[in-house]
Amino acid sequence: MTIPAELLSNLMSSTEEVFETMVFKPLVRMPPVETEVERKGANVVATVAFAGHRRGLVCIHSSVDAARNIAGAMLGMAEEEITSEIPDAMGEVANMVAGTFRNKLAAIEPASAIAVPTVTIGSDFSTKYLSAVRRARCPFEMEGQPISVELILTGEEAA
Amino acid sequence: MRFLIVDDSSTMRRIIINTLNKLGYKEFHEAGNGREGVDKLAATPVDMVITDWNMPEMSGIDFIKAVRANAATKSLPVLMVTTNAAEDDIKEALRAGVNNYVVKPFTPDTIKEKIQSAMKA
Repeated sequence: MTIPAELLSNLMSSTEEVFETMVFKPLVRMPPVETEVERKGANVVATVAFAGHRRGLVCIHSSVDAARNIAGAMLGMAEEEITSEIPDAMGEVANMVAGTFRNKLAAIEPASAIAVPTVTIGSDFSTKYLSAVRRARCPFEMEGQPISVELILTGEEAA
Repeated sequence: MRFLIVDDSSTMRRIIINTLNKLGYKEFHEAGNGREGVDKLAATPVDMVITDWNMPEMSGIDFIKAVRANAATKSLPVLMVTTNAAEDDIKEALRAGVNNYVVKPFTPDTIKEKIQSAMKA
């Protein structure tokens, strides 16, 4: 079963709102794809789990360079000054995207709760899920740099 | 005007401080969770508290209850900045004693308006 288009639309608009308001960088939207993310080279993945009416994960994927760009813009710092700030900044982006997404869904269905973010930085890795999940990735371009937001849902579609 | 900013995210504390700086405010104190916030308030007088909701050790809601339970801080204006925006969330925060509520993501204009409103409350 695929993820409903309305959910992906809400996730994409949530991501755009956060980037416009808090990162000060507009995103160029591309069509969602239902494939696993390929992570060649150094990558950052910021993940927020949610549970309640729906259960799953919202994951922000970027290169380390794009994450440095995002952190610098959020904090008002030059990119070359950004070092240890990347995990916290990307975690906060994921927290705001997941929170905004959760709030949009709470307006049309019972609310879910979100957990604290986790951030993974590494190279040449992929994520696997032991149970059956539905996953879709929403790619964007930010000043020529690719980033994407992935939605992973466990269980059947909520009634 | 002196602010205490309570948030476990150093990024969000920095964003709030940058925003307040742009609005002309210059004095800030920081705490990484509600427990630290209580300790900071006991040692450092401030004019307004800005707090997150979801934090380790002591949540924003429990922190606000502690602020309201202390005779020295019970009238302090408190602004909550959080991603929690469901109607039940806002009711819970108001019951705990927040003066105003900002949903992330936010603009400087929103922060300015909510600070002014919280100061009048």
